[in-house]
This record gives sequence, C-alpha cells and structure tokens, in this order.
Amino acid sequence: MSARASGLYAARLMRERMFLGLAMGATALGLGCLVAILATLLIEGVGGLNLRVFTEMTPPPGSDGGLLNAIAGSLAMTALGVVLGTPLGLLAGTYMAEYGRHTRLTQVVRFVNDILLSAPSIVIGLFVYEIYVALVGHFSALAGGVALAIIVVPVVVRTTEDMLLLVPDPLREAAASLGAPRWHVVSRVAYRAAKAGIITGILLAVARISGETAPLLFTALNNQFWSTDLNAPMASLPVTIFQFAMSPYEDWRRLAWTGALLITAAVLALSIAARALNAKRGT
Amino acid sequence: MDMGPAAAAATAAAAPPIKVDIRDLSFFYGQTKALKNVTMPLYRNNVTAFIGPSGCGKSTLLRALNRIYEMYPNQRAEGEVIVDGENILDSRQDVNLLRAKLGMVFQKPTPFPMTIFDNIAFGIRMYERLSKSELDDRVERALRNAALWDEVKDKLGASGLSLSGGQQQRLCIARTVAIEPEVILLDEPCSALDPISTARIEELIDELKTDYTIVIVTHNMQQAARISDYTAFMLLGELIEFGDTATITTKPGVQKTEDYITGRFG
Repeated sequence: MSARASGLYAARLMRERMFLGLAMGATALGLGCLVAILATLLIEGVGGLNLRVFTEMTPPPGSDGGLLNAIAGSLAMTALGVVLGTPLGLLAGTYMAEYGRHTRLTQVVRFVNDILLSAPSIVIGLFVYEIYVALVGHFSALAGGVALAIIVVPVVVRTTEDMLLLVPDPLREAAASLGAPRWHVVSRVAYRAAKAGIITGILLAVARISGETAPLLFTALNNQFWSTDLNAPMASLPVTIFQFAMSPYEDWRRLAWTGALLITAAVLALSIAARALNAKRGT
Repeated sequence: MDMGPAAAAATAAAAPPIKVDIRDLSFFYGQTKALKNVTMPLYRNNVTAFIGPSGCGKSTLLRALNRIYEMYPNQRAEGEVIVDGENILDSRQDVNLLRAKLGMVFQKPTPFPMTIFDNIAFGIRMYERLSKSELDDRVERALRNAALWDEVKDKLGASGLSLSGGQQQRLCIARTVAIEPEVILLDEPCSALDPISTARIEELIDELKTDYTIVIVTHNMQQAARISDYTAFMLLGELIEFGDTATITTKPGVQKTEDYITGRFG
C-alpha cells in the first residue's frame, strides 16, 4: 500500500468507526427505551396480577375488583372487528392481486388503502361516531367492532395482496393448464401458497386493534358492569386503562398497569405466533 | 413455409394423422408481432420439437396452443389452431376444457403446495367424481406413467415440495398425465434439471408418445435429435423449416437451419 493511499485509508477507518459508533448508539437508545418501558410495565403490573383480575368486574374506587368485563369486552370487540374486517380485506386483496392486477381500479384502491392504513385511529372513531353512534343515539359494542374492523381492513388488504403477489405466476399457469377455472386456481393453489403470510397479516391486524383506544372511546365507550349486549356500551382493556390511569385512585392505577401488562403480553404472543408462521412459510 | 425438397418428400411419405393443425398463426404482445403466420401440423402420437434461439417465438407458439396466454392482458393470437376439426382459438371454445385436453408442463417444476397425492388428484377431482379407491388407482397409474411411483409410493402424504427437482418435474408430468389429456405441451421441461434427471424425462417422453401427441420446446439441439420425430426450426417469430427430425438435423433444406444446428449462431 502506498503512503498516499494509507493516509486516505486511515481517514476512512476513522469515519467507519465513527458511523459504527453512531449506529450502535442509536440502537442502544432505541432498545434501552423499549426495555425501560417493558421493565416498568412488568414491575408495576405484576404486583396487581392475581386471580381476581380475571374473575371480578371493574370496581368503584376504593373497593376490590378485577378486569373481567374489560377483558371480555376487548375479546368480544376484537373478535367482532376481525370477523367483520377480515373477509372484506381478504376479498379486496384477492381482487387486487388475482383479478384486477393490471386495472386502474386496483391502483386507486391501493392508494386509498395506503392512506387508510396510516390514518390516525381517532379519525376512524369519529367517523363511526358520526355515521353510526350519532344516528342510533347511543354508544355500543357493535359500533366499537365496526371501528376496529375499519382498522383491520387496510392491514389485511395490504398483506393479502402482497402475499398473493409473491406467489409465482407459473404456479397459477400450472393450475390453469390442468383446466382449473380461475376461482379454483385462486382458492386451491394461490391461497394455499400464500396461507402463512395471509394468516400472519391477520394476526398482526389483531395485535394492532387489541391496543386501540381512540376508536373505542367514541363508539363502545365503557361499562363498569358485565355486559354481553352488543347494542350497549361495553368495557374494553384500552379504555379502562385510559380511565383508570388518569384517576387519582391508587387501586385503579394499579389495575391500569395490570391491564397494560395483559395487552402487551397478548400482543407479544400474537407477534411470536406470526413470526413462527412466517418462518414456516419458506418450507 | 420454406421447405427443402428432401424434407418435404420425407414428410409426405411417412405423414401420420394430424392431431393439431396450426394455420397461419400470428401472435401479438401488445403491438409487437412475436409470431408471424406460422403454419405447421402436429402429428398424432409423435414428438414434435420446437427449436431455435432465445426469443424466436417457440414458447409463444406453445403457449398459444392451450391459450394460457389469456391469463395476461394485451396478448392475443390470430389465425387458426385446429384440434379434432375445431378451431380452438374460437372464443366459443371453453378454455378450461381446452387446457384439460392439451396439458402443459413448464420450464421450472411447479408442484402445488400440497401433498404428492393431492398434487396428482388436483386435476382429476376437478372433472371427475371418483370413489376413494378409484382415485387411488388413478393417482398410482399417473405416477407409474411418469416413472415416479417407486420413489414416492411410501410418502404420498409428503409435500410435493419435498421432492428433488427432477422428481418434482416428473410429478408435474404425472399431474398432467393424470387428467388424461390428448396432447402434452412441454416448455423446456429439462432446462432446470441435471443430466441424470434429464435422461429420465427423455425416456419418459419416449414412452408417453404411444398414448399422447407430444410437443416439446427445447434449447438443446441434441435433445431434439434424441427424442423428437419432427422438428420445427424457428427464428425471429417465423417458422423457417419443418420436417422429420432426421432430415432437419442431418441435411436441412435451409441455410439458416444449418447455421443454427451446426452452432454458427444462436
């Protein structure tokens, strides 16, 4: 190596170390914040974790209670959101990837879908409030489910389209060349090839909506009691956490921490399931 | 069509019945004319090879025969392809029934993401309602026809993707044979395979021609010489020469054909 080059090289090496240091520092900062959040959550939340959380209703301030109605409400409205939103998203994604791949409509839908995907969820809450809650005159679990479904749709549309586009065309040609009609090619071959990815998308949508608070505030509101009536206000974990965490009462705040821990654990479990499925996709 | 006198004589002398009659067929990708007025016969129970350099239109020609191109926008064919007296390019021809009659095997193996058994049963189930034992028989027969039975008979429940490349390609041939087509269209079926797998597929093609009319697109001149009875040489979308393989490979009637097979270009 010549003397001239080695001077250049030393400068390069310096710069390399500097950027490596910056990159590592940024990683540490991000990871540190995450660990701090999770650790706080764990420390504050575990204390309140006991059987009563899962067996008793949300209490008035100063008395014992649990989160049963909020947990059940969250499960019910999340399920409602998935049941309403997934078929719509699946069908739209299927149209875009399989039938209308080259059409203008698909381009427009994709663009609108991307906007919806990043729309603030409070806007969706207000929207459902305006078109549904305000019309029927009262908050309801159904309205909450609809709001969550509107969040599910764009996520499922996007992943369904992306995953179906990853299925190689020769596979479709092979199925078609056996005389399979188009819907048969899609349902028996393309869906099967993209199955893991599509399910992953649905799981991620579930993870996304299970922590949503804003859309439920304007739609399902809250309920201190056990309710299975979809046409009445219903409790949910995020809204309960919001209400309890803002309160001056020590026991409510402890329950809020526990609820936050529960949601985080559920989302973590879903993410792990999604990852496991994704890893299987290669085979 | 430009045909040497020797080739024409040889063709005329031995000509077996025509299964598919391609008449004045042109093909367009958008505005681009990729096939230019091709006319040629495909003889029943014979192997016809389409040869020529990349981009000459041989795959395009093959893909016009089962109208698989219709899956994509802006692709269209003009002219006639007569199969058993009917023009299959006619829009009244049901395209799914057509494809079941003219089966196709692709360049890269395309096993479906399902078990070996279901891969074979996929096409059968679509058109026939069979009992479990009848279906078992059909699957076994198809796998035997494709010389794959002995290798997979103990793992029919395994994923089709778990097989080797050569086995996968035979699985795809078995899948095509299973629906009992009349013509089998092979689009460079050996290009992704090693020499041993290639040899097995070539043997297989030779056995299959007793029951089927076979068309094979190949890059490989030697392969065409080994397995085909008739050869069509194409260049830039035109059919340059068609005749029996022995004549085309030993004394072609057209200079361009000779240049290609002796390796002067392409």
